[in-house]
Amino acid sequence: MILPIGPIHPSLKEPLRLKLKTKGEKVLEAEIDYGYVHRGIEKIMEGKPWQKCIYLAERVCGICSYEHTQTFAETLEKISDVRAPLRAQFLRVITNELDRIQSHYLANSTFFKAIEHETLFMYMLSQREHIMDAIELLTGNRVNMGWNVIGGVRMDVKEIHLKQILEKLEAVEKNHDRYVGIFENGPIVGLRSKKVGRMTKEEALKGRAVGPIGRASGLKHDLREKHHTYCENLEFKPIWRKKGDNFARTMNRFNEIPQSIDLIRQAIENLPEGNIRSDVEIKSGYGEWRNEAPRGEVLYMVETNGNLIKQISIRTPSIMNIDSCAKYMLKDVATVTDAVATYATADPCIACAERVAILDMDKGYDTYKLL
Amino acid sequence: MFQSLKNIVRKSSIHVCIVNCGGCNGCDVELVALFSPRYDIEQYGIYIHNNPREADVLLITGAVTEQWIHNIKRVYSKVPEPKIVVCVGNCPISGDVFNQEGGTVHAPVSNFIPVAAEISGCPPRPSEILNAILSTGPGAISNRGRERK
Amino acid sequence: MSSVIWYLYEFGRKVWVKGFFNGKTSKEIMEKPDRFRDFPKVLKKNCIGCGACTSSCPSPNAIKLIRDMDDKDHHGITYPVINKGACIRCGFCAEICPSEPKTLECGENHFITEKFNIVPSKRKFIVDDFLCIVCGKCRDACNVNAIEEINNRFRVNEKKCVACGDCLKSCPVKGAMKGIFINNLEEQKTIIKLIVDRLESFIENKKEELDKLDNLSLVKIQYPLSELWDEIIAILPDEEVAYEVTENAINRLKIRVMTWNEDNCKLCKLCVDECPTGAITYNEEDNRVKHDKNKCLRCSYCYQTCPFGVVKYFVVKFLVENNEENNNDKDINEIVKNKVIGITIKTSPLSAYLSD
Repeated sequence: MILPIGPIHPSLKEPLRLKLKTKGEKVLEAEIDYGYVHRGIEKIMEGKPWQKCIYLAERVCGICSYEHTQTFAETLEKISDVRAPLRAQFLRVITNELDRIQSHYLANSTFFKAIEHETLFMYMLSQREHIMDAIELLTGNRVNMGWNVIGGVRMDVKEIHLKQILEKLEAVEKNHDRYVGIFENGPIVGLRSKKVGRMTKEEALKGRAVGPIGRASGLKHDLREKHHTYCENLEFKPIWRKKGDNFARTMNRFNEIPQSIDLIRQAIENLPEGNIRSDVEIKSGYGEWRNEAPRGEVLYMVETNGNLIKQISIRTPSIMNIDSCAKYMLKDVATVTDAVATYATADPCIACAERVAILDMDKGYDTYKLL
Repeated sequence: MFQSLKNIVRKSSIHVCIVNCGGCNGCDVELVALFSPRYDIEQYGIYIHNNPREADVLLITGAVTEQWIHNIKRVYSKVPEPKIVVCVGNCPISGDVFNQEGGTVHAPVSNFIPVAAEISGCPPRPSEILNAILSTGPGAISNRGRERK
Repeated sequence: MSSVIWYLYEFGRKVWVKGFFNGKTSKEIMEKPDRFRDFPKVLKKNCIGCGACTSSCPSPNAIKLIRDMDDKDHHGITYPVINKGACIRCGFCAEICPSEPKTLECGENHFITEKFNIVPSKRKFIVDDFLCIVCGKCRDACNVNAIEEINNRFRVNEKKCVACGDCLKSCPVKGAMKGIFINNLEEQKTIIKLIVDRLESFIENKKEELDKLDNLSLVKIQYPLSELWDEIIAILPDEEVAYEVTENAINRLKIRVMTWNEDNCKLCKLCVDECPTGAITYNEEDNRVKHDKNKCLRCSYCYQTCPFGVVKYFVVKFLVENNEENNNDKDINEIVKNKVIGITIKTSPLSAYLSD
């Protein structure tokens, strides 16, 4: 029997159709239908100056909106052979890690909602609010921050902001371990999450899973290791786990939160004085840049013509993660409810994923499929 | 007497369904934040179910994409009367940044279904959403109910 | 037992009781931090009407410049209006606003230093050094001091320019200051090609008039612009840009037209060897010399070679003129209806040398 879930469904936050092939309660296979939120954002960007495009890049995805602007800015900086001033790089690290923390809390809270653990769901959201406050304090908006520009960041921070951010981080840290303990030691939560939706390392490699999903299956792949700000100035080691089930994915995200807090502390302590923005003359050319977004690796391929964007192509992590989720995680899940929970741990972000249209030229325009 | 009792009940218990018809997800995240203990939308008797069949209010986010042109009408027809539609964010109101050359959106949403209230912002803060829902939602629902009678 | 006591303690607290019975969200969460970017605040009287905010806004329909009605004593003031349904609250308009003090205020974005302000615009201004007479009128007209004098030559500083077009209006020499559209280059090329193709075929149909031309006289004919307009709009939907591109292209256009009168041909085949591109071929089956228009360069070698006057060679210039005088229409479609392309045809100046 084929059981369709979505596009509007109590347990999904975004429109997407999940087709589960079931036998009784057991899920045999899964298939995913995309295409509900294709807006053509890459096409809109073509021929526009970067000042406008950077606001458009932000709106590729609402949850990890910060990383998109940073990657876009760094791609153009690479094309024009400059680097942002050190102070700006550190400020970018702070905002980036704050964004990562809130995204991980949100991802875990959706998992807890999917397994009907309301208490942890509420705890996660109240933790997240502290971080959102810090982001709003620093950048001026909660979601679409408008913080990055080519060659630096828009506004400088004051001592008082840094102090308040550290206070918020302390408030987060105070309860974090207790909440992780509830999840780690709770017997019923363990039953719903351990050994459910397993993906081995080979499967993760085959499905090209990235980010926390890949790291939970044993792929030690974190692009922050190679990023120039992190490897030159900050201490950082990727966190990874071996098991690759729902428990490992959730715990991997939980463990990355204190690490991010530590990175923010390091950045604030070592924050150098100086300019926050340098004057950049953008060259014409082609460039690529990868960054580690909360969900994994983001790749921007940009071709510029002076100030204008000639062509742009974006690869976001969600498309690989959702695909490997459908192929390997949802296969042989014991119940349908577990399937929904497994889907939630893959941290899907459909708004990210849908930018491409596939045309079947033989059959004509009517059969096109949006991705 | 019976009618006024009905109105009181309708005002104090509103069931909401969020429909994302093709946005950047930012507004949905802010709506999820409304669940949080900090804003706590449930203390005002508003429950988010994400099920159109038991909803009184449709919260629409996102500019209408190609796939949603027919589906948005279908979803609307499945909501029982009395029902109202509230647009959250700029996308359903005007199409936001996507409504320009190259984009494949069909905003505004009011071309397809009747809209009762709009909350602008990209995305609006949760406090702004809360404010707007509380000031318009319950009254509009009970008025709508009276209309039908 | 201990848990019961703990519950009693928890629920007996003042905060909990208050929260339970009042059921209201605390006021603090409604407060916005200083940096929060709300919808931009407009201070009408500071506006200089340059349009930098409208051209920089990433969201279409979000910001508009409007002008109040004139009264007896004053001109109405111009100021921007924000459409809250489309504004994305990025604060970029406040950042680039060049007026002093700023017209738009948004969060703390309007404090950002002027040094980095770059206004994205569809028009780019360039001074033509060859034509510029260094009068300095554009520099005086500029509201934002974007025109600088370097080595006795004027340059437009792109980082300051807000693309208002005041310099273009003040320039006394036509063409010395250029406002170029930097987008849609491919479309602009297509438009120019369309115009050239159309006008050329139109002129070649007037063969009889051309044959009568001698070395001294001119022919003036007119071609209505509205016949081309629908196709131009289909290529480039932005009417303002399309009209300006068309007008500039036509005014600058100068094409050479060749006519091929086969009746005079005596098959001497001199031109066949002269042609540099092989556009002229001799066909043995028909016993004819053929001229391929698509390969032709209009280099006039054949015209200079031919002893029998088969080839004729004309220089054609164009100008967009008003059909009727005194039209004050503002809608571009109305303007186009009244415009005609004035075509001036004369024989090539080469003919004077050849006839001698």
